[in-house]
Amino acid sequence: MRLRNISYILGGFLFFLGLSMLFPLLWSIYYKDDDCFALILSLVITSATGIVLYFFSRPSDQDISLNHKEGFLVVTCGWILAAICGSLPYLLYGALPSFSDAFFESISGFTTTGATVIVGIEHLPHGILFWRSMTQWLGGMGIIVLSIAILPLLGVGGMQLYKAELPSPVKDKLTPRVTETARTLWIVYIIISTVEFILLLFGGMDSFNALCHTFCTMATGGFSTTDASIAYFQSAYIDGVITLFMFIAGINFTLHYGLLTGNFRSLFSNSEFRFYCGITLTAIIIVTLNLRFNLIEETTTCIRYAAFQVISILTTTGFATANFDEWPSLSKTILLILMFFGGSAGSTGGSIKCLRILLILKHGYVELYRLVHPHAVKAVKLGKRIVYPETMASIWGFFILYLGTTVVAFILLAALGLDPMTAFSAVVATIGNIGPGFGLVNAASTYSDIPTLAKWILSFCMLVGRLEIYTVLILLIPEFWKK
Amino acid sequence: MKVIVIGAGEVGRSIADILSKEGNDLIVIDKDEARLKAVTELLDVQTIHGSGSSPRILKKARLDQAEMVIAVTDSDETNIVACLIASTQSKVPFKIARIRMPDLDQDSIIFDKNHLNIDLCINPEREAVNKAINIMEYSGASEVIDFAEGRIKLVAFSIDRSCPAVGKKLSELRDLYGGDLLIASIIRTNELIIPSGTSTIRAKDYLFTFVETKNVRALLKFFGKDTEPVQRVFLLGGGNTALMLAEQLEAKGVMVKIIERRQDRCEMLAERLDKSVCLLGDGTSQDLLKEENIQDADYFIALTGDEEANILSALLAKQLGSKRVICLINKVDYTHLIPIIGIDGVMNPRQATIGKILHFIRKGKIISSTPLSDEKAEAVEFIALETSEIAGRPLKNIKFPKGTIIGAILRDDRVIIPWGDTVILPEDRVILVTLRSAIPQIEKILTVKLDYF
Repeated sequence: MRLRNISYILGGFLFFLGLSMLFPLLWSIYYKDDDCFALILSLVITSATGIVLYFFSRPSDQDISLNHKEGFLVVTCGWILAAICGSLPYLLYGALPSFSDAFFESISGFTTTGATVIVGIEHLPHGILFWRSMTQWLGGMGIIVLSIAILPLLGVGGMQLYKAELPSPVKDKLTPRVTETARTLWIVYIIISTVEFILLLFGGMDSFNALCHTFCTMATGGFSTTDASIAYFQSAYIDGVITLFMFIAGINFTLHYGLLTGNFRSLFSNSEFRFYCGITLTAIIIVTLNLRFNLIEETTTCIRYAAFQVISILTTTGFATANFDEWPSLSKTILLILMFFGGSAGSTGGSIKCLRILLILKHGYVELYRLVHPHAVKAVKLGKRIVYPETMASIWGFFILYLGTTVVAFILLAALGLDPMTAFSAVVATIGNIGPGFGLVNAASTYSDIPTLAKWILSFCMLVGRLEIYTVLILLIPEFWKK
Repeated sequence: MKVIVIGAGEVGRSIADILSKEGNDLIVIDKDEARLKAVTELLDVQTIHGSGSSPRILKKARLDQAEMVIAVTDSDETNIVACLIASTQSKVPFKIARIRMPDLDQDSIIFDKNHLNIDLCINPEREAVNKAINIMEYSGASEVIDFAEGRIKLVAFSIDRSCPAVGKKLSELRDLYGGDLLIASIIRTNELIIPSGTSTIRAKDYLFTFVETKNVRALLKFFGKDTEPVQRVFLLGGGNTALMLAEQLEAKGVMVKIIERRQDRCEMLAERLDKSVCLLGDGTSQDLLKEENIQDADYFIALTGDEEANILSALLAKQLGSKRVICLINKVDYTHLIPIIGIDGVMNPRQATIGKILHFIRKGKIISSTPLSDEKAEAVEFIALETSEIAGRPLKNIKFPKGTIIGAILRDDRVIIPWGDTVILPEDRVILVTLRSAIPQIEKILTVKLDYF
């Protein structure tokens, strides 16, 4: 473990993160808000820490390659540091005086969870609000990957960081170099974000709100600028645009790249995409019917609410146009199950991801098939490629660790006195990077009332979920630290 | 530069590693998914699973954008077909193929522009044989690399305890030697050191020295190395490499004894070779070796396919009295061990292949380049341009990247072994040794004048 290299890279990364606070600062100056000072101070603290780390740990060796263990450490530490620095504006402005709350809000932003502890969001100044949304946008495509894309210092080690931050069961590199791949993904991300921003402007949003909501949609984050979330706008058009872009953000970005370069066939021949569409449609239909017969008279309204909420939960965004905690039991159950699905692999969505669920289902089928034909040679296939048993094993390992972490956190939260529904949905909604859950933490309320210790447990869940389990949990086993 | 490497074996992987670290875009194709996985884990390259001779796979690898195709699979046919597709379908400018079959020569007409159109064919066994012949020509050296069309040589050898140079500073050594002497680098306990005048030589050091060809023997003698011409050589293992080597040695009038286990192979060797003695038996048998007077051998060269057995039998032969021993080893990981355990030289076909490919790729700004034995450093030969930073100034005033040393200068047929006051003139041919990590910087210095240097 070469800690020097690690702190060198983290230093460069923090410096960059500090500079990104310029954007909220500009909004704050534009609106002449009183959060200007807090933002400047946060910027200076973050960047200065970065510079100090960078220069004091500059390795004498020119070669700063990382091995895979160091890659995991850099990524996890990078995210924790980002969350700590990201909490500075909330703390210094006084929006959230306690560090636990500020850290929770910040990590909820970076991990694109969208769970909030702030009551009365609309009273916050623009700079802080913008920072809150921007953390989601940065975290959506991966902050470390962004640094790979634009900071040349992360030359050789980039590969390890990329794998640790954007784990995917099936490794797809768009271009030979990881920096190039990262840059390509970010460009695709920016292009789609721009389109959504323009469409939202047409819907009558002002540019500040349009930008904030674009950030939180594309990252499948779910922070809004008001307590009422998207319901505040009362506009079917805005609901529609956001529904569409949440759905888009939940698709593998490699496919978007294919579409942008004119490869239309790859989209529909992709089995994960078809599975994702199938799940979305089925869930929308069930919830619509359930709402239609139990709650709302008008069919179009049913479809509007159902589509928005299903896609918001499935892609792990967490926006709300209605308090779905008050919906009938079947709808709530469907939404709770969808929380385990998440978007496609390689999207900005969190949770288990459609690809893993699809492969696990296929694996189950193959096992049944083998019972019928004991001599048959049959493997799990994805499209036209065989999924090797080691890949399957890694997916099962992920699945078990995901559920295991959920169960442990659930028990801990229950031990802190939360009711089962609140505790369970809070854990599922944070580890899946969704945001709102049921019970005390439903879409109409916030996480502010739960105990401090529970906030830390949930913060941990968010990080574990965002970095897809392995990257964080590997640091917790003693074997990792043995020389 | 976009490069497609076909075959993710040891050679393919090393080449991909070196080239991608120098900023090229690499795509590696292999049929074996497990090998590709190993490549993706370690290197920043894109991998494609499939056969390198399939047009579909090559198209997927964006062959039309590639500037170089390096085909180094185990199969000659696949390599040839891949290069053929590259030249006919997409007009890739550079095609390199590894071709093992001994009957196919680099100069063969079928590889030229009008036929297969392969720019560089490499036969790893032949490269290794050439290396061994070069070592034997200057017995006492562990490695001899040619520069400037053979006028300057980079000689590598290990320092014995009895060597008079042990404990001396390099500056003292120069006075003792009474001529131009430049030690380009030292490998000491696995580490590569680029020495300065105050560095001292220690026993068991492994030195790389630049020397004019006519002075090689004098130099080796100075370091206490015995330089008598080779007369008797034992070869262990009777494969194609041994056959090729035996043929060349026979032509030089060296007496060769080949030990081979298989009856049929022995018969074949006996048929192809006239003067050599073919022995049927086990090379690790002391009796056989003693019976054949191993104590009189100048060289014992272990060439079987089993590298561990090669090392052990070489050590055994050395213990029984063979003056020097050489091993055929493919694993780069073992290379560091060689000087330590008392083996005098290594034939490494894979490394020879890598060296040859790099040599070819670096052409242009750089005339040639050769990796030194531990792979971390390279010897680079180039022509000093008028516009380049290094021309027209004393060497001591030039800021080179760390770990770089100018080894020799060739000016109008005169070899200059440089010192701090030496000035490089435009059009000089310069040979330097540098750590691989500094190669991109070196390339920069060589071409354009950078004001902030």
